[in-house]
Amino acid sequence: MSKSNSIPAAEGLFTETADGPRLVGSRCATCGSAYFPRAQACHNPECERTDMRDANFGPRGRLASVTIQGYPPPAPVVWSDPYTPYAVGLVDLEDEALRVIGRLRVDDPENIEVGGEVELVLASLGHDDEGRDVISWQFQPV
Amino acid sequence: MGEVAVLGLGMHPWGKFPDKPLNDICRVAVEAALADAGVRWREVDAVAAASSRFSGGKGWGLNGNDIVEEMGSTGIPVYNLSAGCAAGANAFNVGYTMVASGMHDVVLVVGGEKMPKGFIQTSGLDDETDPEYLRQRCVGLPGPGFWALLTRQRMAEYGTSEEDLAAVAVKAHQVGQHNENARFRQLFTIEDVLKSNMVSHPLRLYEICPVSDGAAAVLLCSAAYARQKSTHPVWVASSAVATMRFDDGLPRGLACVPSKGRAHHSEARISVGKALEGAGIGAKDLDLVELQDNTVYYELAFPEEWGMCEPGESESLLHKGETLPTGRMPINPSGGFLCFGEATTAQGLFQLCEVGWQLRAEAGPRQVPGAKIGMAQSIGLGGNGTAAVLKR
Ligand SMILES: [Zn+2]
Repeated sequence: MSKSNSIPAAEGLFTETADGPRLVGSRCATCGSAYFPRAQACHNPECERTDMRDANFGPRGRLASVTIQGYPPPAPVVWSDPYTPYAVGLVDLEDEALRVIGRLRVDDPENIEVGGEVELVLASLGHDDEGRDVISWQFQPV
Repeated sequence: MGEVAVLGLGMHPWGKFPDKPLNDICRVAVEAALADAGVRWREVDAVAAASSRFSGGKGWGLNGNDIVEEMGSTGIPVYNLSAGCAAGANAFNVGYTMVASGMHDVVLVVGGEKMPKGFIQTSGLDDETDPEYLRQRCVGLPGPGFWALLTRQRMAEYGTSEEDLAAVAVKAHQVGQHNENARFRQLFTIEDVLKSNMVSHPLRLYEICPVSDGAAAVLLCSAAYARQKSTHPVWVASSAVATMRFDDGLPRGLACVPSKGRAHHSEARISVGKALEGAGIGAKDLDLVELQDNTVYYELAFPEEWGMCEPGESESLLHKGETLPTGRMPINPSGGFLCFGEATTAQGLFQLCEVGWQLRAEAGPRQVPGAKIGMAQSIGLGGNGTAAVLKR
């Protein structure tokens, strides 16, 4: 699929860097709290002063939990036709106090174990009405 | 703060009523609560109502105003409260506070809702500034998927099995079959539950609550007023409302700060803690609890998180029958959300009605023997949590 024939699921949430894909969020320079997506203010009640800076997160993490979506969910969820159940994981990023949800890019959703190591990829969730690939962040086993 | 009595309880059964207007459903609940209390509508000093997202309220959540117009416009103040699925119980807290403060003598608390078909999309917004919208658009994790992530964590941590999960649903219907207000009253075996469709692995169709229509009402009054009407009313021992904490480890949008201990609904833990403290009791002193079982997971996790039993102990208590009305830790003798389905903003009030009926020993075959003190607990979108303890 050519690049022009794909769109991001949403703007400003992920980026391709020289080191690979990253999630785009914020970090508070005062207390270190990490946010995804970007936050305008620090939500940590212990923090004395909001000082938000752009920050990239990823790519490695560990699966804190996982589920398989058994039925095709309604819009705005994107999936490829015909529907096959996909896995969603809860991922604790390595060296980062940030727990992120993301779709899992795996061949066999039944065989994913909690605790496994995963890495960030940018990949298609499925097609939109105009046949374009809808790209989002996903995690795949390392 | 003055004492507050629960003088009247009323409910319209939960179900699907496509041909019945919401106002009719609510009026049945309100009239039942008034009749139960022996109070006429024009004696009601104020209304605290749950704002519905899905029905009535002139599209503005003015569901309390609809009820006042329906019952007779007496000029009384109306408070319409919004707290997602915790709205009914949130309205109860506001009603309680107004009576306890001496502002009003008699307050009607009411919630009623008619739900659209299918699983609810949690958020009502369709734009990229809404985290819930982004969660669906960029990942695709509907409500049951969120519960499934919590369930899988429990399975990894405590070895909870799919049979354990199914056993919660079996128990819910075992008690709910006796509740004429419940919608799903058929009995299931573990095998039936395990054969039902997989919704979000490991959660199956019979292990999560569908949507329903329904309404419930509670009439609150001051101690002086209660003594004119009843010799032995139910009392509000405490009522608490909370919101979530920053670091509880639950990703309500796309991400969160991981928790230090187990991820949990901090809004539930905080409101329950405040309610128990307000009532001057410990979690193990409760004779019964109506807790928000959107899915079987919560019936296992919540009692442990609140100190009703030890972490990892819920499955064995369930299998020993200790969570039945006749056990030593009765949970959801009404049959819970699994048997009622969810009329979102009315849920907190059906729970309070059940606790009230239990304390009055009017619950028939699902009665908790000798129940003297019980709690109702709910949570809602936005990190809203409520808990109230009733006693007699
Ligand atoms: Zn900060």
